[in-house]
Amino acid sequence: MPFKSTSTLSSLLRKSPFKPIQEHMRTVFNCICTLPPLFEALYNQEQDIVCEHAEQIRQLETAADKIKNTFRLNMPKTLLLPVDRKDLLNLMGDQDSLADIAEEIGKILSFREMEVPAELKPLIDELLEGTIEVSGEAKKMIEELDELVEVGFGGNRELERVTAIISGVRRSEHNIDNILNRARQTIYRIEGDLNPVDVMFWYKIVELIGDISNQAENMADRILLFLSR
Amino acid sequence: MDIITSYGTILIALAVIFGLYMTWGIGANDLANAMGTSVGAGAITVKQAIGIAIVFEFLGAVIAGGHVTKTIRKGIIDPTSIAGSPEILVFGMLAALLAAAFWLMIASTRGWPVSTTHSIIGALIGFAIVGIGPEAVKWDQVMKVVASWVISPAIGGVLAFLLVMSTRKLILDTDNPLKNAKRFAPVYIFLVGFIISLVTMFKGLKHLNIELSVGQSFFVAVLFGLTTSLIGWFFVSKIQVSANENREFHYASVEKVFAPMMLFTACAMAFAHGSNDVANGIGPLAAVVSIVSSGGEVMQTSALPLWILMLGGGGIVLGLVTLGYRVMLTVGKRITELTPSRGFCAELAAATTVVLASRTGLPVSTTHILVGAVLGVGLARGIGALDLRVVGHIIISWLITLPAGAIMAMLFFFTLKGIFS
Repeated sequence: MPFKSTSTLSSLLRKSPFKPIQEHMRTVFNCICTLPPLFEALYNQEQDIVCEHAEQIRQLETAADKIKNTFRLNMPKTLLLPVDRKDLLNLMGDQDSLADIAEEIGKILSFREMEVPAELKPLIDELLEGTIEVSGEAKKMIEELDELVEVGFGGNRELERVTAIISGVRRSEHNIDNILNRARQTIYRIEGDLNPVDVMFWYKIVELIGDISNQAENMADRILLFLSR
Repeated sequence: MDIITSYGTILIALAVIFGLYMTWGIGANDLANAMGTSVGAGAITVKQAIGIAIVFEFLGAVIAGGHVTKTIRKGIIDPTSIAGSPEILVFGMLAALLAAAFWLMIASTRGWPVSTTHSIIGALIGFAIVGIGPEAVKWDQVMKVVASWVISPAIGGVLAFLLVMSTRKLILDTDNPLKNAKRFAPVYIFLVGFIISLVTMFKGLKHLNIELSVGQSFFVAVLFGLTTSLIGWFFVSKIQVSANENREFHYASVEKVFAPMMLFTACAMAFAHGSNDVANGIGPLAAVVSIVSSGGEVMQTSALPLWILMLGGGGIVLGLVTLGYRVMLTVGKRITELTPSRGFCAELAAATTVVLASRTGLPVSTTHILVGAVLGVGLARGIGALDLRVVGHIIISWLITLPAGAIMAMLFFFTLKGIFS
């Protein structure tokens, strides 16, 4: 007799939404980690390698998009989740925009051969270093979701750990804001010596790098929402 | 009266065959759901699950299966008005049994989430309405049973919720979760043995000629609890923990402690399932045997023979061995989202609720109670995602199963009546 095994229980238990979120974040983090070598190639005026890295970022972004889409398709409104469904979808959106920003930076640098002004170089390096740090903190926060599910998004010890990571993200973001200001001032100071169109793009690139940490901070706010329910 | 005396043996043989068919179906499909949780959590292998099921399903049926059997046998239908023609009741019981088994088979091949309990109750009502008359259905009893279908999953859910909260308070949200897990594991395992045996023994073993006073029941239950807890302590103390395993997931070691604990809830689940679901197959069989052997006494005053309980337990085991293992394998593979700590809570809550219902004589659905328990864990924010559509499917399956069982029982009743008269 051909018994079908669509058991009530196995259709009740759906795949955890936190796994794809973590997988997505890892991919996004890889995207962002490609930014320093991208700029390194730009400093060295190796346009081929710049394009190579930009392409790598694009591929990672596509992979992340795929994870995001499957995730969204598997989030019907009938799910009982330990956190608000909308917050989860928004968190995924925030993560995705991290990859989008990295991709856009890659695109600009690959179609527009730009020379990095010497005064700007140390500031960009500083910005990139901070961005990797803040994204790493954000990733750490996302990796902690498993543990949060285990304790039901409550419990003092896990709460302390996560809030510590969240304040780490906040601090890093604040730090990046300072660097960003200095970078803007520097561009303003030297803009007379530069090609006006270049200036426009430098402002844009610096803003884009800054946006990454803003998005990371948004993610921290979402996680805080999970904890405060 | 003639029919009973001249066809008595054939009627009993038919009842035995239908009863075996029904219990076989229960073992093949229903039990897999009840035990798939332990398999899915990785606590036991399918082979171990089958071994456990064979022993505890049988024990559950024989030791605690009598009360629900009594309800199915004489709690739903009032046959006083047909005292002069007992063959009607015999045909009716046979028809109900066949209808329920048949409906179960159809549903299983299509993958519908139907409950064996609901099929047999629907079938009994269906027969009673056409065979005797709507007034023969003890509607107040039926309402009580139907109410228990709603209440029992809710009780399972509340128990599971409280258990999850207790594991958090005592184990997970502490400075040293692993140490506390090892410390409290024997306590939780004690609970499994204690609760299940206490509920079962509490004035419930008369059919085995064992009568225990309240104090004695408590004493023996404590002994049972301590024994299981000792065995559990032995398993838990053997667990090896490496420093590396917690790097990715801080609670990996803790979950490792819960895994052998699910062995005990798996036993409890099999026992609970046996105690409640065996009645769906053997209740009508017992009725037929009683009527025929008393020469047409519809009021069935005789006690339930032990061999019928054993036959039922055997039928379920047979179904499990021939087909159920495959179902269990697939179900187990799909239930991967339940960690041992959650699975333990859900199973303990479900098993307790089912055994409680069995002791009260209420025929409930093991699967639905387990669903209720898992939902309770979910409400405690303990599971990644639960699809609530299942709840809708369950309600729809009720609404279909009751009339479907009833209509089929009516058809089979008239067929049997036509053949024998």
